[in-house]
Amino acid sequence: MKRWIPIAVIVLAAAAVPLLLNPTGYWIRVFTFTLLFAAMAQAWNLIGGLANQLSLGHAAFFGIGAYTSTILLLKFGISPWLGMFAGGALGGVAALIIAIPTMRLQGHYFALATLAFGEVARVIANVWTSLTGGPVGLSVPFVPPGFAAYSFKQLLPHAYIALIALIIVTAIFEVIRRGAMGYRLRAIRENAAAAEVIGIDTTKVKLQTAVISGVLIAMLGTLYAQVAVFFDPDTVFNAMSISIRVALIAIIGGVGTAIGPILGALFIVPVEELMNDLFSAGAAGLSQLIFGVILIVVILWRPRGLVTVIEALRTWLRGKGAQS
Amino acid sequence: MSFIQAILDGLLIGGVYAVISIGLTLAYGVMGIVNFAQAEFLMIGMFVSWFAWAYLGLDPVLAAPLSFAVAFALGWLVQGHLISHVLKAPSVAQIFLTVGLLIVLENGALLAFGSQFRSVTTSYQTMSLSLGSLFVSVPYLIAFAMSLACGLALWWFMRTSWFGRAMRATAQNPMAAQLMGIDTALMYKMAFALGVGLTAFGGAVILPYVTVFPGVGGQFVVLMFTVVVLGGLGSVAGAVVGGLAVGVIQALSALFFPIQLQNLILFLVFILVLAVRPQGLVGASR
Repeated sequence: MKRWIPIAVIVLAAAAVPLLLNPTGYWIRVFTFTLLFAAMAQAWNLIGGLANQLSLGHAAFFGIGAYTSTILLLKFGISPWLGMFAGGALGGVAALIIAIPTMRLQGHYFALATLAFGEVARVIANVWTSLTGGPVGLSVPFVPPGFAAYSFKQLLPHAYIALIALIIVTAIFEVIRRGAMGYRLRAIRENAAAAEVIGIDTTKVKLQTAVISGVLIAMLGTLYAQVAVFFDPDTVFNAMSISIRVALIAIIGGVGTAIGPILGALFIVPVEELMNDLFSAGAAGLSQLIFGVILIVVILWRPRGLVTVIEALRTWLRGKGAQS
Repeated sequence: MSFIQAILDGLLIGGVYAVISIGLTLAYGVMGIVNFAQAEFLMIGMFVSWFAWAYLGLDPVLAAPLSFAVAFALGWLVQGHLISHVLKAPSVAQIFLTVGLLIVLENGALLAFGSQFRSVTTSYQTMSLSLGSLFVSVPYLIAFAMSLACGLALWWFMRTSWFGRAMRATAQNPMAAQLMGIDTALMYKMAFALGVGLTAFGGAVILPYVTVFPGVGGQFVVLMFTVVVLGGLGSVAGAVVGGLAVGVIQALSALFFPIQLQNLILFLVFILVLAVRPQGLVGASR
């Protein structure tokens, strides 16, 4: 019971934040994207953290999700709520197709293969103009506001939807991590051969994780499309701004932990936005440069992520408490 | 006839691909690091050569040794101060340290030079030699010849010099090499600096037919990885075969498919090789 109290406090605090922000302002948008990227990094964390398969191609599933719901809405008037599940299903299928030939690859090789797959998805989305509209991009059509239509006049509902999505993805992550599947994944990560010997179907477990991760990030793609309103293949299928960024958020926060992606997103997204806000006019590239420097510093200084800073703080505080 | 022409063009371009990719395979072979930022050193080499052309009036191809030297010095610092710290770290740290480096270098260039495209004009830019009914583009030929010279110099260095032998010994067994009195940390610096230097050298020689801008590295990342994976990550001879193969694949796919799909074919070849034969087609694993 006791461990639920801090979680409840954090969730309530997060729920209160949007109410304090100007509902038509800039920061509520930043807040929404922070939550969304935290959820995306959490979905990546399943495969990247628990299975230790460092995917650099998650933009493929994310883009499929964004495109599926938007195309269904444009062509058939289907609500994005339903489109989200259709996108999730397609994202899962794509994850399976990618995972089957790449799952036995490890470390650098897996990262390279998934990077190439992500680029394949981007090229296809650019070329298949009859379906995606090609490089011109898609605009999410304006429909009369309402919850069922997933259309809102303000960003406030989007912020709450992103918050709920983050809670759901984090809960799924925790359930898997603590459950039998989490133990199997840990066994595979520590020693794949030994795991196989004691009877774990390593391929099956990795495939399951990859598909769940793909489904989740594809569904988040729909959320992104609804907030962004306009996107093109080079935004949602982008290796740097989606695939690598999502992995970076999890890694900077603390890969393999539930709190890591949230910490990472809380740190990275606002800092990046702030940089863009401060410097965009004067110096192109400066905000990204600082982003890169932060990444290098965190990896050299805290290879296990910012989560270790919190742990260190906690032991320090506890030590203080014991002294007094 | 256009088929043979495409193969010829592919081989000429592929020779350059081999040289720009050798560095990637060298760093992996010697210390097991996959440098995701390797293509950024191509961009740096191109910029050095462009500035040498614009301000010193040097031919971009002749500026190649200068590009090599600048990238070598930069690589020495990067290896000594950044990568040396993650040599024994999990692959997450290794991959994302070099990704961070990629972001820093690309955006540093954007900050310093702006986003505009820069190209050079040379007297031989549009010339071509006719060989029966075939045409040999002069800039391709020059780039190929320079790459060949550079590759041979590297081969000679690795075979005959003490440094080359020490580096190969380090690649084979770092601990044994250290016991024989080889400073492995120095060898790592040498391998990394030499590798990025070669990539920058390649950047300079392609400047007559490729425009430079801060994001140019992005166009070569997957290409370079395809080259080294085709040849077997860690194998220098494999990179040469891989480079020529990638050049030919690119030229042939341009013949049969629309230009937008050119990279797609390359990516698919890449994934196929990784899935079927991750140790490379040429075979020799590290």
